[in-house]
Amino acid sequence: MMVTTSPERRRLETIGLWLLLAAGAVVMIFPIYWMFVTAIRPRDEIFSGSVNLMPTGWVWKNFADALHHMPFLTWAGNSLVIAVVAVVITVSLNLLCGYAFAKFRFAGRDILFIGIISALMIPIQVIIVPLFLVVSDLGLLNSYWGVILPRAAEAFGIFMVRQFMVSIPDELLEAARLDGASELTIFLKVVLPLSKPIIAVLIIFTFMWRWNDFVLPLVILTDQDMYTVQVGMNLLKGQYNTEWTDLMAVALLSLTPMLVIFVFFQRQLIQGIAGTGLK
Amino acid sequence: MTRTFDRRTILKTGLGVSAGLAVSGRVSRGLAQSPVKLTMAVWGGKAELDAYNQVITKYQAVHPNVSIRLDVLPSGQFYQQIDTKLAGRQAPDLFRATYQQVGRYAMSKAAVDLSQYIDPNYGAAFTPAVWSAVTYQGKPYALPHHTDTFALFYNADLLDKAGVAVPTSLDQAWTWDQFTKVARLLKEKSIGSYPFAMGWSANAVHRWMIFLYQHGGRLLSEDLKSPQGGSPALVETIAWTQSWFKDGLVPPSTSLKTAEPTQNLFANGTIPMMLNGNWQIPFVDQQAKFKWGVTYLPRDVAMADDMGGTCMAVSRDSKNPDIAADFLKFLVNEENMREYVSSAQFLPVRTSLVGSGLRFPLRSDEMKVFIEQTKTIPEHLVGTVIMPTWGKFASKLTDELDLAFTSGQSPEQTAKNIEAHVKGILLSA
Amino acid sequence: MADLSMISLRERDETITSRISGWWRSSRSRLTPYIFIAPNLLLFSVFVFFPLLYAAYISVHQWSLIDTPEFVGAQNYTRLLTDGQFWQSLKNTVVFSAATVPTSLILGLMLAIGLNRHMAARTLLRSIYFLPVVVSSVATAIIAAWLFNDNYGVINAVLKQVGVGRVAWLSTPQWALPSIILTTLWVRSGFCMVVYLAALQSISPSYYEAAVIDGASRPQQFRYVTWPLLRPTTFLLLILNVIYSFQVFDLIYVMTGGGPGFSTTMIVQYIYRAAFANSEMGYASAMGMVLFVLVLLFTVIQWRINRRTEQFV
Repeated sequence: MMVTTSPERRRLETIGLWLLLAAGAVVMIFPIYWMFVTAIRPRDEIFSGSVNLMPTGWVWKNFADALHHMPFLTWAGNSLVIAVVAVVITVSLNLLCGYAFAKFRFAGRDILFIGIISALMIPIQVIIVPLFLVVSDLGLLNSYWGVILPRAAEAFGIFMVRQFMVSIPDELLEAARLDGASELTIFLKVVLPLSKPIIAVLIIFTFMWRWNDFVLPLVILTDQDMYTVQVGMNLLKGQYNTEWTDLMAVALLSLTPMLVIFVFFQRQLIQGIAGTGLK
Repeated sequence: MTRTFDRRTILKTGLGVSAGLAVSGRVSRGLAQSPVKLTMAVWGGKAELDAYNQVITKYQAVHPNVSIRLDVLPSGQFYQQIDTKLAGRQAPDLFRATYQQVGRYAMSKAAVDLSQYIDPNYGAAFTPAVWSAVTYQGKPYALPHHTDTFALFYNADLLDKAGVAVPTSLDQAWTWDQFTKVARLLKEKSIGSYPFAMGWSANAVHRWMIFLYQHGGRLLSEDLKSPQGGSPALVETIAWTQSWFKDGLVPPSTSLKTAEPTQNLFANGTIPMMLNGNWQIPFVDQQAKFKWGVTYLPRDVAMADDMGGTCMAVSRDSKNPDIAADFLKFLVNEENMREYVSSAQFLPVRTSLVGSGLRFPLRSDEMKVFIEQTKTIPEHLVGTVIMPTWGKFASKLTDELDLAFTSGQSPEQTAKNIEAHVKGILLSA
Repeated sequence: MADLSMISLRERDETITSRISGWWRSSRSRLTPYIFIAPNLLLFSVFVFFPLLYAAYISVHQWSLIDTPEFVGAQNYTRLLTDGQFWQSLKNTVVFSAATVPTSLILGLMLAIGLNRHMAARTLLRSIYFLPVVVSSVATAIIAAWLFNDNYGVINAVLKQVGVGRVAWLSTPQWALPSIILTTLWVRSGFCMVVYLAALQSISPSYYEAAVIDGASRPQQFRYVTWPLLRPTTFLLLILNVIYSFQVFDLIYVMTGGGPGFSTTMIVQYIYRAAFANSEMGYASAMGMVLFVLVLLFTVIQWRINRRTEQFV
């Protein structure tokens, strides 16, 4: 018996599904919406505990005030520099390393792979003090490098690159080798062009993680002018009387770069993950 | 069997990288006029930071070769940051500390012994309680900067509605029974969602000691050398403070671990009364849309209050401890202390200022209640909470009391556990 | 004699050079992978492996960070065995993982299947579901604490309005963990959705056509086509989510501080407390080592399983 669904029924189904998904989406976006409503609320209505789900005021000035109360733009600049440099370094290293693990057989490969992956899974709080001592001994305290280098080796990236590159046909590489191409040329001219989707994924995720990093910048960056957005936000939260309007305004602003990136690169992100051989 | 960590050797031999080449060690300072850079780590709200910056500007005007950078750290991670930096020999020249924490730094010599920079009777100008707090084995390791204390904020509109009159002088302060009766009355009449809350969130557990002393209890013997054990006061105080939560007299979110700022609850009318410190006055003044005032803490067999406030220490990593100490003396001199405490709504710690009728920009009458309340701070309580082991002990005390308040651990069991920690941690030094 | 030794030296030099170049030529392919992983390995050694070794060294000492460390042997490790709070926090972590990992996978899969269809505003819906993933843990914690606040949070305000009454979300042992779990699901389900979506899109439609011809119903199509083909994805997500659950920290730090009591104290939380609130760096490091061994075991086991499912070459 052939199971067919009438187009009518299918359309009804899609509508029902759409309504369900839309309702879920409302729930998902509500916290962000609520941040926004809080950020533009009159300051003295913050703790009213009112049930009013609509904005009770449109105090756009709160954003201006928040930017005036703290050097948000400086922090955002620091975060941006750190995230961009980290993306360049981390993605390059991930690609090199993941390629080696995917396409070469060598002594100690599995041990190294397991070692790297599991050590990188350690929560940073466990090694933060020794890590601080190392960074301090290298003279990297209060510098961008002190935040970038320790996180440059990233387990997730190596893992994803390996998964992706496993599916690159060996014959392609062998052919290039027979043509006398050096290993570096093969990597640059054959492997990388095939890896564009995974590179897009890595760029997006690495940027996101570095932009959102908190524990490491908190101990490495001591000068307030060097703070990243996340550390600055925590500073606001930590005061006796949290200025919630400021905090929400800043938190909302801190999301914008990530939102822009996701909306524009959503397609590449999904295609890239699809290419990691996770069929 | 003490060993020292020779980290640099491990790093070099362990990795074979030239990672250990960091410049370190104490560089001799050269001439006093050569440029000197100092860093000072603090936490604080806007009023405090402005007041710090003001003193820094003044000092730099007199000493153009010195520049001082204020590092503002999040208060929640402040000691974590300072300790980590001390471990890496990278601590700021000066750092802020509460009187409950400073003993730790003194005992491990993480703070510099300041006696070489000050006159022998320098300490006589400060109130004895704070001076004893910064002193370890007869030597000062920090200079007292200000203090603060607790009193009872009340929402006058709501208390009027309930027909409750508040005490107007210290000797009329409510007893525990009277206070509980007021709280139950408010609860009965559903005035506010909960009658009151105590401002000890985010691990300010030393403030629980206020009630222990009010009830005639203590953790340590008279000479602070052995545990007090055997008195029912400990169990009874735990039971009383636990009853606040059991009977719904305080919001459940105002136990010790959750960081619910009680001042928000007071300002929005959730609670008609709040036990909190004088530094809350600016916030309440700005946020409250009702008539409010401050009255005295309740009392039981005795009066008691908490010695809050902070001091400033010079760290062992400072390359210019003499200049840092010089700035420190400047920071706490009479004029600067007066300006700092009056602009940030704190209380002074120089005897010359305590009795001099300071002027505060906000609510001078209410500030008087706090000043009066400082007379009730028990010396023995101060002696207990400034022990170098207090910080470590406080974390366990928080655990035990939080279990009693939120998870139904019995007062007897709680007291038993606390007494074990008194022996094992508080008296371990 | 002198000349002779000179000649032999030169000869030796030449043979060494030729030997090196020959060795290089012959082992170029053998060395290549090592050169490719070298930069990563260097950074890894300095910033992960060395600190880890150092933590192991600290773990046999008693150290408050600000005083001189004292060697105590295995004392920190033996203490671990009898520390009920350590086991409690390990148990909490397992409970938290068990509650969040399968749920976010299921939610993510359902969303992915739904949003894989053509429908209006599909990109917008996908973006909304993914949105929480880009929110930093600090911001997530702040907004969650704000929503769940017992006294002026909007969730309780709404509950009060509809007559349910207020729930002490973050301050009662029975509700604190569920609140944190809900927040975690908010973040994780969108991530799982994107990865599942990618996997679904790489399944060839011909499989379904064949299944339809064979008379498979929709649930059967899912059972016999979709699910088996998604297995590697599920596996990857399982691993990533377990890692995430074992590392959860900021969220709890801001929302509950590990309380009430110990109801939301996770392993990382407990380690952090030992190190910084209790000034017991040695003990904290010992717990960190135990955690590392657990993670290592987990990795090796999943590596083995992975091998068996032939996902790896």
